[in-house]
Amino acid sequence: MAVYKRGYGKYQGPLTSHSARVLAFPRMAWQRLMGQRLVLIVLILSLFWPLGCTGYVYLANNLDLLKTIGGAAPIFSVDGKFFLVFMNVQAVFATLLAALAGPGLVAPDLANGALPLYLSRPLSRLDYVAARLLVLGGMLSFVTWVPGLVLVAMQCGMAGWSWIRPNWSLAAGVLAGFLLWVFLVSFVALACSAYVRMRIIAGALVLGFFFVLAGMAQVLNSVLRVEWAVLINPPRAAYHVWCGLLGVEVPDGPGPLACGLALAGMTVLLAWVLERKLRPVEVVA
Amino acid sequence: MPHVIELEDLSVKLGRREVLQSISCRLGEQGGGRAIGLLGPNGAGKSTLIRTLLGFHKPLRGTARILGYDCHRFPRDVKTRIGYMPETEAMISDMTAVTFLRLMGEISGLPPEVALEKAHEVLYHVGLGEARYRTLGTYSLGMRQMAKFAQAIVHGPELLILDEPTNGLDPAARRRMLELIREMKDEHGMYVLLCSHLLHDVEEVCDDVLILHNGRVVHHADLEAERRSNRRFVELEVIGDDSRLAEALLEEGAQAVNEGGGRWRVVLPPGVTVDGLWRLLARENLGVHKLNQRRDSLEEIFLKAVGHIRETPGGEAQREEAGAHGRI
Repeated sequence: MAVYKRGYGKYQGPLTSHSARVLAFPRMAWQRLMGQRLVLIVLILSLFWPLGCTGYVYLANNLDLLKTIGGAAPIFSVDGKFFLVFMNVQAVFATLLAALAGPGLVAPDLANGALPLYLSRPLSRLDYVAARLLVLGGMLSFVTWVPGLVLVAMQCGMAGWSWIRPNWSLAAGVLAGFLLWVFLVSFVALACSAYVRMRIIAGALVLGFFFVLAGMAQVLNSVLRVEWAVLINPPRAAYHVWCGLLGVEVPDGPGPLACGLALAGMTVLLAWVLERKLRPVEVVA
Repeated sequence: MPHVIELEDLSVKLGRREVLQSISCRLGEQGGGRAIGLLGPNGAGKSTLIRTLLGFHKPLRGTARILGYDCHRFPRDVKTRIGYMPETEAMISDMTAVTFLRLMGEISGLPPEVALEKAHEVLYHVGLGEARYRTLGTYSLGMRQMAKFAQAIVHGPELLILDEPTNGLDPAARRRMLELIREMKDEHGMYVLLCSHLLHDVEEVCDDVLILHNGRVVHHADLEAERRSNRRFVELEVIGDDSRLAEALLEEGAQAVNEGGGRWRVVLPPGVTVDGLWRLLARENLGVHKLNQRRDSLEEIFLKAVGHIRETPGGEAQREEAGAHGRI
């Protein structure tokens, strides 16, 4: 029978699992994000650099090919430094994507008062945040650790056992380094979005978070003639952590562990902001 | 018989203020659709009670149970069984109605394909079928109210919590909304908790009523029983010599008060109908100028409960605050 002729009937069938309910949010959010032109453009642009890197990896393993087409073969090496450069570029794209997509996930829910509706369903605030993190985390993974691991796998396949043995930790380094960044950036985007509740301003705030902190760190380092202010500069702190993870020489300043702890501290602070702001009802004391 | 909502010594503190103070009551016997009206003046604690039932506020003391499940200890079990329509704007304005209802269905536990089907079905049912692919931001206030109602019933809840569902509706839409609420109760066996400041709406739909004032329960009534008891109260105005009327009424078991000028107020005992009263008046050779089977309207019950008037108006009704505020 056609739906419009049917009338209302109470659903009596079995209910889906809790995880399936939580996953309804990311599924719909991804559909909506893919409909946003700017997000799609940045997403596509962010895949050019990994594509270029695959070409680099291919050439690095096929130097004979370069010789045959003439010219002296440059020195190509696929090592920690190569992945560090790769991660730096992709981290920028990840931040841009988070600034574009993140605010649209939470700000509209808060601005439109949809949170009481969602939380009146069998979902907790933690489920809601996890679902939103999954949306961002999933999309950022697509431009960070997934292509990173593809590159590692490609290099492993082409270079063989002789490369894998000394460089096996690179895969773990790329994965852990990117996950750290994805987590931080996602939390920044959600917290900014929950804090200002306006999509455009929240997007600007996400970028501002990184630029302002970087600027502050630079000023502190210069004025106080210290190096520890790197700890409050998220991109720089992440760079130090990545250097440690990829076995590349760490620049002067705090070590990877201290930087990692600083980034973890920032994430906890952002999670606290989310805890304060994402409430179904506001109580004015 | 278990009850739909059970509150035991429930106290809720928001900031420094104890908004709900040791509320204890049992509302709506289970075993068939039943509607409970939640009434109270502004700041009485109605919204706080609803939010506590939804698990948004943690009780300071006591417990609140819905369909046997503790709202604070088993929120997921409770929320699986309820549909909530908030008073405030609550929807994503750039989402189509179908997408919104589908999402609400899915997060309530409907499988995706069922959720989509139900979204269409419910939107047609509430009268938004033709507008279901429009974004919610383009809806009028009345349509938004209907969309909010639709999302509350999309998953077929056992208890429907409606906060001011007829707010901002024109008379036709209001009638449709009340019809829908009655239908959910009578035909689909849902329990309804209706919070409204429009007493007429509550009177039309609800079987029970709970009146809150200053965070306490001041009146809990079975409206059907109230209506039955109201049928026993008669206002009378007779022409002729009524000196023997009090005695005659007493012989029939009725209590009566003579207000002078042929005006009487009579409480009929069980078994004595208005027809019987007519016959008695005929026996006494009294002409009837007026016979009014008065009933306490919900408004009167409400005003009495919150202390604005001490007794049913009419005759010597004392209007406590009328002089001071000029409200009644």
